[in-house]
Amino acid sequence: MIEINGLTKVYRLSKRQMQQMKTKKNIKRAADGISLTAKEGEIYGLLGPNGAGKTTTLRCVATLLKPTEGFIKVCGFDTVKQSKQVRDCIGFLTNEIKLDPQFSSRYMFEFFGKLHGLEVKQIEERRRELFSYFGIEAFQDKKIEELSTGMKQKAAIAVSLVHDPKVIIFDEPTSGLDIVTARNVTDYLKLLKQRGKLVIISTHIMSEAEKLCDRIGIIINGKKAAEGTLTQLLQQTETSDLEDAFFELYKENNLDDEK
Amino acid sequence: MKGAKTIISKELKRVFQDKKLIFSLFILPAIMVIGIYALIGQLTTSMTKNIDEHISNVVIQNTPAGLKDFIKACGYEDTAQISYLDTKDTVEEVKQKVLDETVDLFVVFEKGFLENIAAYKKAGDKIPVVELYYNTTGNYSQAAKNNFEAMILTPLETSLLGERLGNLELLNVFETKQTVIADEDKANGQFLAMMLPYLITFLLFVGAMSLGVDSFTGEKERGTMASMLLAPIKRQEIVIGKLVSLSILSGISAAVYAAAMILSMPMMAKSMSNGVEMNVSLHFTFKQIIMLIIIMMCMVILYVALVGLVAIIAKTSKEANTYVSPIYIVVLLAGMITMFQGGMEKRWYQFAIPVYGNSLAIQNLMTNELTFLQFGLAVGSTLLLAIILMALLTKSFNSEKVMFNA
Repeated sequence: MIEINGLTKVYRLSKRQMQQMKTKKNIKRAADGISLTAKEGEIYGLLGPNGAGKTTTLRCVATLLKPTEGFIKVCGFDTVKQSKQVRDCIGFLTNEIKLDPQFSSRYMFEFFGKLHGLEVKQIEERRRELFSYFGIEAFQDKKIEELSTGMKQKAAIAVSLVHDPKVIIFDEPTSGLDIVTARNVTDYLKLLKQRGKLVIISTHIMSEAEKLCDRIGIIINGKKAAEGTLTQLLQQTETSDLEDAFFELYKENNLDDEK
Repeated sequence: MKGAKTIISKELKRVFQDKKLIFSLFILPAIMVIGIYALIGQLTTSMTKNIDEHISNVVIQNTPAGLKDFIKACGYEDTAQISYLDTKDTVEEVKQKVLDETVDLFVVFEKGFLENIAAYKKAGDKIPVVELYYNTTGNYSQAAKNNFEAMILTPLETSLLGERLGNLELLNVFETKQTVIADEDKANGQFLAMMLPYLITFLLFVGAMSLGVDSFTGEKERGTMASMLLAPIKRQEIVIGKLVSLSILSGISAAVYAAAMILSMPMMAKSMSNGVEMNVSLHFTFKQIIMLIIIMMCMVILYVALVGLVAIIAKTSKEANTYVSPIYIVVLLAGMITMFQGGMEKRWYQFAIPVYGNSLAIQNLMTNELTFLQFGLAVGSTLLLAIILMALLTKSFNSEKVMFNA
């Protein structure tokens, strides 16, 4: 279970960053009082435009960043005070986090298995299951640098799941993948849900959120603008599809900001 | 510490499974060192040979009677083309030629040279002068001057003294008899003893430098560090895993360099041994070897922690290399200063300066003069600094600003 309570993340900007972002404020509120709860057996989607704060939120959940205000609990553990336990029960995947290109997928899988404290036998069992599901076996001994983007992504997903985590956090899981691989990944996320895992993803692809997510949290300018099932969101905004609903909320919240 | 062990084995595998990396880290430097030393040796030898074979152009003015025959008899004409000038001839032109290096040596005997010598009776009488004009920037000129002194002037002086005194033994109060007993290995050893502290000091850094930047900044840039930060282990374990593996690799790299240098030392020694005279032999006791290893280990730990800290703070490899280069120069200097302070008295606190103190300690170890206080200071101060740097490194690993530029 993930419990995010009043998460605020403030970045201090250097002068150069201020120039780049054309702002005179020396701080940026990447996340601004976000609260949400996600439970086992559901896929929770964070939907929002680029720079809305989705990645920051997920990184805070994954213990990579510390909240400036508020707290996050994952499986009952605090992400700041009990970060090691949190890391033990999550699998985190993003495009920016990569596997060492000089090693094979198989070695990386074993390496991270060992870092998670698994026995050789357990690692071997997990490897067989995940590698056969994602079709990695054929290229498991090739160096990762020699693999195509899709293969790399598959290998990275398999490695992030080596320890059979209770909570799976995917930052834009299908970005950069072809349709077949993307489908493969989303199907596996559904399978994980069926097995009682909590999956939390971020995306800016409406169709993906529509089809995949049980509940959706819409993030705009670092704030949670709305939350609920697809039906609830459509009712709330009096629209007929998620894209229209999103733009309704986007207009509302940007107007709020300008005031 | 199981996590640290896993990381160490991964880091070592990263290097040893990659043939290109093994070649560029361990084999290429060895080939280059041996190649460079062989080339320097070869060039020095051929330069000496060239000077030996050169026929010098010598001009002599006011040649005393009989000197021409003397020159012929002693074989100086084999090495020089001699032209003789008269008293009236202008000397400025010849001096200009010495400057232009078209004339290697210009010798001017005083007018009435032999007569003046013969006229000498008592102390205070005039002593005639032989003027030698030569060019110190020209290799040939220097050699021509040395040859002229050795082959003409000294024998001439001896023979004239013989005539004046009748008995040359009057000049010898006693004789010294010198016999050099030394074998070639030992001559090389002396050279090594002077060079070793310097070599160890900077070679250990070379290894840490080339591998450290990639291991920290490189991993951060490639995004592979973050995947490790997500593992349920303490950041400290990652730091220790990285530092230990780097230390091992730096040690191997330094050993390869040192071995290559020692192998190529005979080639260098041939051309340089004349300049090096030190009474040191390279015979180590067991205690000395242990002390040397301890000093080197402390240095390696300090180096990898220092490079690691700089590399982790840097945002890109390029930035990291910019920071590491000046540190490398400081380390080089610290080692080099030691090389030129061979016999000088050192104060206790000099040993407490990290890097420099270690280099001094190795030097004293070679000459068997290292006291326990000096050893303790060198090792202690280095370890203390290394621990501080490691703490800062661990702190950096916990900082999201450093790790994610957040």
